[in-house]
Amino acid sequence: MTRQIRLLTKLSLYGMFGWNEFLHTKDGRKKLRCLLMGGLWMFLVLMLAGYVCLMSVGLVAMGMGYFVPAVLGMSVSLVVFFFTMVKAGPVLFDRRAYERQVALPVTDRAIIVSRFLSMYLTNMLLGMVVMVPGMAVYGVMERPGAAFYLYGLVTVVFLPLLPLTAASVVGALIAGIASRWRRKNLASILLTLVFMCVLLIGSMRLSSVEESQMEAMLQQIALQLEGQIRSLYPPAIWIAEAMVQGKLEGLLLFLGLSLGCFLVFLEILQHFYGRICGLLSAREAKGNYRMERLQAKSVMRSLVEREWRRYFSSAIYVTNTLAGEVLMVLLAVAVPVVGKESVDRIIGIPGVVDRALPILLGALAVMMPLTACSISMEGKQWWMMQTLPIRRRDMIWSKVILQLLVALPFYLVSEAVLLAALGPGWADALSLLVVPWAYILFGARAGIAINEKLPVFNWDSEVRVVKQSSSTFVTMLAVMAAAVVPVVILFVAPDFPVYGVHGAVVAVLAGATLLMEACGRNA
Amino acid sequence: MLEIKNLTKTYKGGKTAVANLSLTVRAGDIYGFIGHNGAGKTTTIKAVVGIHDFDQGEILVDGKDVRSQSMACKQVTAYIPDNPDIYEYLTGIQYLNFLADIYRVPAKAREERIRREAEDFGIYSVLGDLVSTYSHGMRQKLAIIGALLHEPKLLVLDEPFVGLDPEASLILKKKMHAFCEKGSAIFFSTHVLEVAEKLCNRIAVISGGKLVAEGDTKELTRDKSLEDVFMEVIGHDKAD
Repeated sequence: MTRQIRLLTKLSLYGMFGWNEFLHTKDGRKKLRCLLMGGLWMFLVLMLAGYVCLMSVGLVAMGMGYFVPAVLGMSVSLVVFFFTMVKAGPVLFDRRAYERQVALPVTDRAIIVSRFLSMYLTNMLLGMVVMVPGMAVYGVMERPGAAFYLYGLVTVVFLPLLPLTAASVVGALIAGIASRWRRKNLASILLTLVFMCVLLIGSMRLSSVEESQMEAMLQQIALQLEGQIRSLYPPAIWIAEAMVQGKLEGLLLFLGLSLGCFLVFLEILQHFYGRICGLLSAREAKGNYRMERLQAKSVMRSLVEREWRRYFSSAIYVTNTLAGEVLMVLLAVAVPVVGKESVDRIIGIPGVVDRALPILLGALAVMMPLTACSISMEGKQWWMMQTLPIRRRDMIWSKVILQLLVALPFYLVSEAVLLAALGPGWADALSLLVVPWAYILFGARAGIAINEKLPVFNWDSEVRVVKQSSSTFVTMLAVMAAAVVPVVILFVAPDFPVYGVHGAVVAVLAGATLLMEACGRNA
Repeated sequence: MLEIKNLTKTYKGGKTAVANLSLTVRAGDIYGFIGHNGAGKTTTIKAVVGIHDFDQGEILVDGKDVRSQSMACKQVTAYIPDNPDIYEYLTGIQYLNFLADIYRVPAKAREERIRREAEDFGIYSVLGDLVSTYSHGMRQKLAIIGALLHEPKLLVLDEPFVGLDPEASLILKKKMHAFCEKGSAIFFSTHVLEVAEKLCNRIAVISGGKLVAEGDTKELTRDKSLEDVFMEVIGHDKAD
């Protein structure tokens, strides 16, 4: 059994992040590209580690060093939960991989554990990047005993277990419910989006409470912070008790709960696993086709329709890329419902709604544009685009148009809510209408331009393309940079007229979009 | 219909897949392209249909250069790979209708051709089902129907008989003959030498990326079987 798990996990890890391809490719350019991406990842890891160090130094300096492991542990756990919630279902119930593995002499239990482990190992790396710098700062400044390091090591290893189990439970529930519906993909997409919305609305409420209590905490007290962490994620307090106070029972409680939940989940899931996978892979074949009138369409319309069908055939593709549009609507609704000040507090930047709302809306909408992986999603069927008489420009624009079509209803709802609720003057209204659309257009075109440069066609699981490809990562960074720069200008130089900055943003984004188009034509 | 002149393709890493290969497929030809695994058949085919670029040489389809006039070449060519990965999220009819739109086949003509070909290959009743429910052979048949839809001048097939049942193989062979009788040409690779011998009027043998034999099937084989000829020329090439 252990051997089965080890071999299957190794197999999953080979396909992850293109690592195995990097090791064995003879293509020098591909290798260089991988190295550059590795360098970029390292830079971001160092940035994160630096941020963690600064925060830890701050907490220790304020006499709240006790909370370093608790705050970091809680942050890692919440990040792991949020980021794997959408991924866990498709990874655990990957239909194609299951069909290949079920024919081998391996148990369902081994298949489940190996898939869980492949997610676990990547999340453990994230835990290490956050926890180790914090522990180092605490160690240097507070000089704790050996128990701190020993318990810390155990904590780092087991930290992702509980949130990952919780995310897997959500994924399994969604897969289980969706498997009973006729339109399984649609059911899975809807359930995931509903769950995401509930969670985001819940976390917005918690964030606004947290901020108001943070002020009181700074004046006085650790007790309130402890109460708050306890209410959000109690195991983080047990971790802190074990590491800082050397309480073994805290560590045992944390380990017991993590392992207990995982084992119970495993025990239950293995009974239903085969059936859920079977139902998910079941396809309806009627075999009673009768020719109807076939309509001749233009090449572009036909291409866009194909893109539309492709997009909605993949739950993980939709849920990952649609999250940004959902957030845009939530932000638009939150502004009139909970008030600008509350939204400022949730975001953590006072005055951000007044000065940068159109930028936030636009950047959220294309936080992860679907075009960032739409070429890679062609996968092994890429040969068709290469051999059919389709102009490159038509292929590119069919994907961009899909992004615009998908974003349009969310954009219209957001705009309608904000224009009706805020009753802005003509200049504000113009900003609200034009800036987000400029971001959507830019994000869509940038995504495809980046994916053209960094495609991945040889993949087994869509997770590899949607969540682990360098193209999506670079696109997210590009959109983030396009949003952060003007927001920083608005706050660092408050004398700059807001409309001037908004106008400049539209001009720069439109210019960049046109430039990408021009470069694409000459390619 | 297809002219390959001095084609050379070297992969990154230094391996030469095809070296200085030249051949001509004329209108009406069923041209068999045979060779052992890794001989360079698929690389040549992929260069012809525009999937792979090449280092040296020239490829002309219907007199047009595949590099500088790729759209015109693709418009008159149809290609089926050895393992046709086709869009699983479409139904069979959606897939065929998509191809018909891309090749701009008029609505009435596409209806007639789809009905005729699908009935011939025995998959008419499942055209409304998703391609993901199709077996390998059914996908192969769908890919063949899609390739015939726009009545191309050049049909390029990579191992077209793999996965087809005996009846479908027979139908395909008949269709290939009928297709070439109308003045079109077929360039196809195969491992099955008996099929190549019976079906093709011309044959090329490739080994180690080089053309080692080429010509009229009857002249090439004379009193021997194609298998004997193949082993002979391959043996000579290895000895060289």
